[in-house]
Parts: sequence; C-alpha cells; structure tokens
Amino acid sequence: MYCNEVPDKPDVRKKIWDKVDNMARANSLWVTAYGTGCGAIELRPLYTSRFDMERFGIAMRPTPRQADVLIISGYLAVKTLKRVIRVYEQIQDPKYIVALGSCTMNGGMYFDSYNTLNILDKYLPVDVYVNGCMPRPEAIIDGFSLLISKIKSGDATGWIHYKENLDYYRENQKKIISDWDLPDYNW
Amino acid sequence: MENKLHSITDNLSFDFDVIRKEDHYLHISIPRSHVVEMLLSAKQIYELRTLQLISVVDRIEDDLFQLTWILEDATGVDIFILSAEFPRKNCIVPTLGDIWETAIIFERELHEMYGIDFPGNSRQKEDFLLEGWKDIPPLRRDFDTLEYSLRTYGERREREHIDPREYIADSTGEWDTPVPMKDKNNE
Repeated sequence: MYCNEVPDKPDVRKKIWDKVDNMARANSLWVTAYGTGCGAIELRPLYTSRFDMERFGIAMRPTPRQADVLIISGYLAVKTLKRVIRVYEQIQDPKYIVALGSCTMNGGMYFDSYNTLNILDKYLPVDVYVNGCMPRPEAIIDGFSLLISKIKSGDATGWIHYKENLDYYRENQKKIISDWDLPDYNW
Repeated sequence: MENKLHSITDNLSFDFDVIRKEDHYLHISIPRSHVVEMLLSAKQIYELRTLQLISVVDRIEDDLFQLTWILEDATGVDIFILSAEFPRKNCIVPTLGDIWETAIIFERELHEMYGIDFPGNSRQKEDFLLEGWKDIPPLRRDFDTLEYSLRTYGERREREHIDPREYIADSTGEWDTPVPMKDKNNE
C-alpha cells in the first residue's frame, strides 16, 4: 500500500515550536535496519555492547515506518538504489540520511564500476557524510553527534530539500534506473 | 588400484589436452562439439554428479571465450574440470539445463554478463543481477567500465588532501615534532 500523490511541501523551518520538536527528535533517533553495502559490518559493533549507540538515544528499527534515519552504508549499486528510494520515501517526516564511506562521496574504490553510483547526493539528500573506508564505529558516532547538533539547530533539512526539489532528484534517479517502475512518491 | 577419475581419458575418440593431472584432480581441454557428450558421460558413467560452476575467460586477443565446467563426485574428493573454446562473436554454447538444473542459473548469469547464448535455456533472458541493462554485457573485455561510469554517473569529486601537521597546527595552535624512540634512548 502506498500513496501515489506527490506530498505537500512542508512549511516548517525554525519556528518556535520546531525548536521544541527538534530537541525531542535529536534525542531519539531510530535507524532503519538496512545495510546497503560493506559498511554495514561496522554497524554491528556500533549497536551492540562494545560501542552501544543506545547511549545516545539511537536504536535500530526493523521497518522504515518506525524510523527517522536511513544509513547508506558504503557503495550503492543501481539495483539497491531503487530499493533505497522506496525505503527512504516510506520513512515518516522528518527523516535524515547518514552516508558512510568514500563510495558515497566520490565512488571510492568503485569509481569505475559499471553499477555503483559515484555521488550519492545527486539522488538522495544526504545530511551527514562520514568518511573512511570503512569508517570505524567511533567515526560513525561522531557523525551521529554532528547529525544531532544539526537537528537541534534546525539545519538537518535534507527531507525538505528532497520534497521541494523532487523533480531534480527524480530526473537523476530515472536517468540511471532504466527499468523505473516505482510510483511518483511512495509514502 | 587405478584412479577412476583418470580412466575418463582412456576411451575418448577425439583429441584432447591434459592441462593438469593429480591424484583426485583432472583438468582437460576438448573440442567444443563434444562438450555435452563428455559431461553427460562424466555424470552417468564416472558418477561426477555435482556441477559446481561454469566459468568464462574472455580471451579477446584470440577472439575466443574459454568456458570451463567444474564437476565433483558426491564425496567432493574427485574434481573433474573440462574446458572448451568457443568463438567470441555470436557465441552459442549448448545448454546443460537438462542434465543439471543448477546449470540454468549459471547460464543465466553468463548470458547477462558476457552475452553468451544458450539455446534451450528457457530462463536465460530473465534479469539475473542487473535490472534493465541496455549496454553491451559488462564483463566483456571490450566494455569500458570507466567510460560507462563517467557517462552514466558523472565525474567523481576530486580528493582533498589535508596535511596532518597543518591540520593539527590549525586546531591546537602548535605542532610538536615527536622525538623518535631511538634518539630518546641515546639521550
């Protein structure tokens, strides 16, 4: 089941009540349990006892409907991008993307591959990049602390940018996904 | 006692080359017209019942595809490897789908990645790993992955190099050159 209509453009930016909302959002980040590439291997120690990310109010959820954050963990194949778009659009607003590893920034070691994309933010709005190949769990925690401070200050607005520039993102997505069969917006 | 695996070559009525021969290992190369007959007898007479893999080497210099079938017996001790060469242009290879069901999957992959045609394999046109691929098959050596990546995914961003000395000096105000351990001991 999905809604096939393009969503309304949200009108929430740095109003007084949003500051209260953002404070609550920043302290309870729920992450979709979806690993897209090899970087997902670093998430296991992060959310188990060794690094224990629940200290920061970050927890994994089994479904995008319950989550706020999508982690793009490493290289992203075109085939996976299609699933990621679907997952991202099903996450309820507000939503944030954390991208891990060199591959999401400039292709990394797969820059000349026939099926992995080079620059992620042409296709999805990234709020925080964490560099490294692979980034250690400490680096990911650092990325999350940056995301938390961005949410608190009202600067984590990738999801608003995505809705406002949906045509731009759709054009880029359809350019590389040749068998496009997704609805206009599935949420 | 004579090794059963080595008796495969005793009664062959066509030319063949032995590439490697060990106690429980035999690798031979035969003319392409005898591939199905050879593999069928290996399964039925010599009880090499498992098809482990079909692999391809793209020998573009010789204008050939070299296909290799790897068989094992039920215990996994005896390994029989069969190679044959096929012309690279409009490559047609007989399907083994009637002998081993797993061959249908292997041949689907080879059709997608190398464009090899397996007449009689009913599922070879189905997408295997790629979805909606329209270019020439990506693992052929005449496919330029870098050119395709630049054309499809765009130029990658250049790396920014940051000198650790300058970075630390900027953030802490000074850079103390560490004294090597050897010098410390001398003092």
